[in-house]
Amino acid sequence: MAGPELFLDSSIRIWVVLPIVFITFLVGVIRHYVTQLLHSDKKVELEQVSDSQVLLRSRILRENGKYLPKQSKRDLEEGRLSLHSATPCHTLWMVLNWSQFHPTTGQQPKHSSKAFAMRKHYFNNAESGFFKKVKRKVIPKNPMTDTSMVTDMMKGNLTNVLPMILIGGWINWAFSGFVTTKVPFPLTLRFKPMLQRGIELLSLDASWVSSASWYFLNVFGLRSMYNLLLGHNNAADQSSIMQDHMTGAAMPVPPDPNKAFKSEWEALEIVNHHWALESVEEELICRDLNFGGMVSRELKTTMF
Amino acid sequence: MASVSELYDVTWEEMRDKLRKWRDENYRNSEQIVDVGEELLNEHASKLGDDIWIIYEQVMIAALDCSRDDLAVSCLQELKRQFPGSHRVKRLAGMRLEALERYEDATKLYDSILQDDPTNTAARKRKMAMLKAQGKSPEAIRDLNEYLEQFVGDQEAWHELSELYINEHDYAKAAFCLEELMMTNPHNHLYCEQYAEVKYTQGGLDNLELSRKYFAQALKLNNRNMRALFGFYMSASHIAASPKVSAKVKKDNVRYAAWAASQINRAYQSIIRKCDRL
Repeated sequence: MAGPELFLDSSIRIWVVLPIVFITFLVGVIRHYVTQLLHSDKKVELEQVSDSQVLLRSRILRENGKYLPKQSKRDLEEGRLSLHSATPCHTLWMVLNWSQFHPTTGQQPKHSSKAFAMRKHYFNNAESGFFKKVKRKVIPKNPMTDTSMVTDMMKGNLTNVLPMILIGGWINWAFSGFVTTKVPFPLTLRFKPMLQRGIELLSLDASWVSSASWYFLNVFGLRSMYNLLLGHNNAADQSSIMQDHMTGAAMPVPPDPNKAFKSEWEALEIVNHHWALESVEEELICRDLNFGGMVSRELKTTMF
Repeated sequence: MASVSELYDVTWEEMRDKLRKWRDENYRNSEQIVDVGEELLNEHASKLGDDIWIIYEQVMIAALDCSRDDLAVSCLQELKRQFPGSHRVKRLAGMRLEALERYEDATKLYDSILQDDPTNTAARKRKMAMLKAQGKSPEAIRDLNEYLEQFVGDQEAWHELSELYINEHDYAKAAFCLEELMMTNPHNHLYCEQYAEVKYTQGGLDNLELSRKYFAQALKLNNRNMRALFGFYMSASHIAASPKVSAKVKKDNVRYAAWAASQINRAYQSIIRKCDRL
């Protein structure tokens, strides 16, 4: 789409482009401070913290369980231990005192090196496993009636969406009727009605945009400036709010712990234990140890 | 008495950075912290800006270690004035009561924090530390178990529990705690080595084999771990010397022990050579 380059009045630059940048930036900073003022501390429930840590532990068991010993071979052979006859141990304290509850032998088994099996059993056992037994009472949070969620939503809307609409509309009204700037890449004609509000020229290149689109460009582009001035986690950063909705898996507190428990149970059921230390001695012995850096030249004895 | 800055010829910025380094790397050199921190707070308080509050906290804890109650009280007062009603400051006040051995008053203070905020782990840990300080190991173990039931991911707590169990000679349970730590930190050679030592102490052929494996793993993770090398040698030779093993196992373990002995010799040779050169 060649055509002669348009020359814009330089007063557009002084009176339109720069003011829009300043306005966007200041509004963002004000939004940040207003959010901080209205921010109410979210009180975390003990149960939520506890549940999130249990889920983390189960996940770690799945990933790193191969570094733990599975079960002592001799115990298996002599039939002293069997996963299915093991007494249900439904609290961690009882798991720690496992040996006292063994049903078949009166004495304590000498070799309690059944680390992985014991932990998997603690989580997944059909009658007493943590994931099977513990059903958290989940009160489904109705967004309409639950007061805290309603106020949170209102606050979110007020501080983020409302200013954007207001200022966008005001800019559209105040700075309408002329071309503001040109985006450096070619665009198709489809973009014209979106980006060229108020400019009714059919033949104008779609790259030339109006002030409203320059405003929106600024809203997203000034994110890194906000990071520079306000540090991370600033409330002026809108894109992170949108990202929060997407990364549900990374949230520390799942809204429905029962579902999370069920999925963890399934994941743990299918995991098998392949001991990572089967042949560790052979691997170690085949080469000499590297003692580099074991002796340092000087020992620091003074404070500074 | 000459001040720190005169003795070592350092500026206040270097002293402040040194304090930050000690803070970040969790040093417990309380006397040095008191010396440097006291001078920094008395002479250069206005230049520190917002850093001053965390320095107050650091110096206060170091002062408690050195029985400097005067310094501790002054730091605490400054913090109370700046952060009234803060749980963190309350915990520091409780620590001061602990240092004066007023355990009931400290317990009351920590309980009030927990009533306000049941998820506050710092107050709970202080209560358990008090039990340990008073020598009431069984109660400390019981409380720590309950704490861990709710906060399963707290690694500091697992390590503390393993230490308590080792002191009580309950090696099976100490091994469980160390397994927990190994699971969450698979690349930390120290946990592998400690686990292997506990297994070795428990004794019995299976535990010896397990300990040999974990000593080997610790060596694999860090070639310079001499303790693990010695442990590997001892467990291998113990298994080889036991009468109940098959010939193949015996041969393997003799080989492992011989290899370990040659590596130990190599290590000492390299040290002797380095010392000769110095």
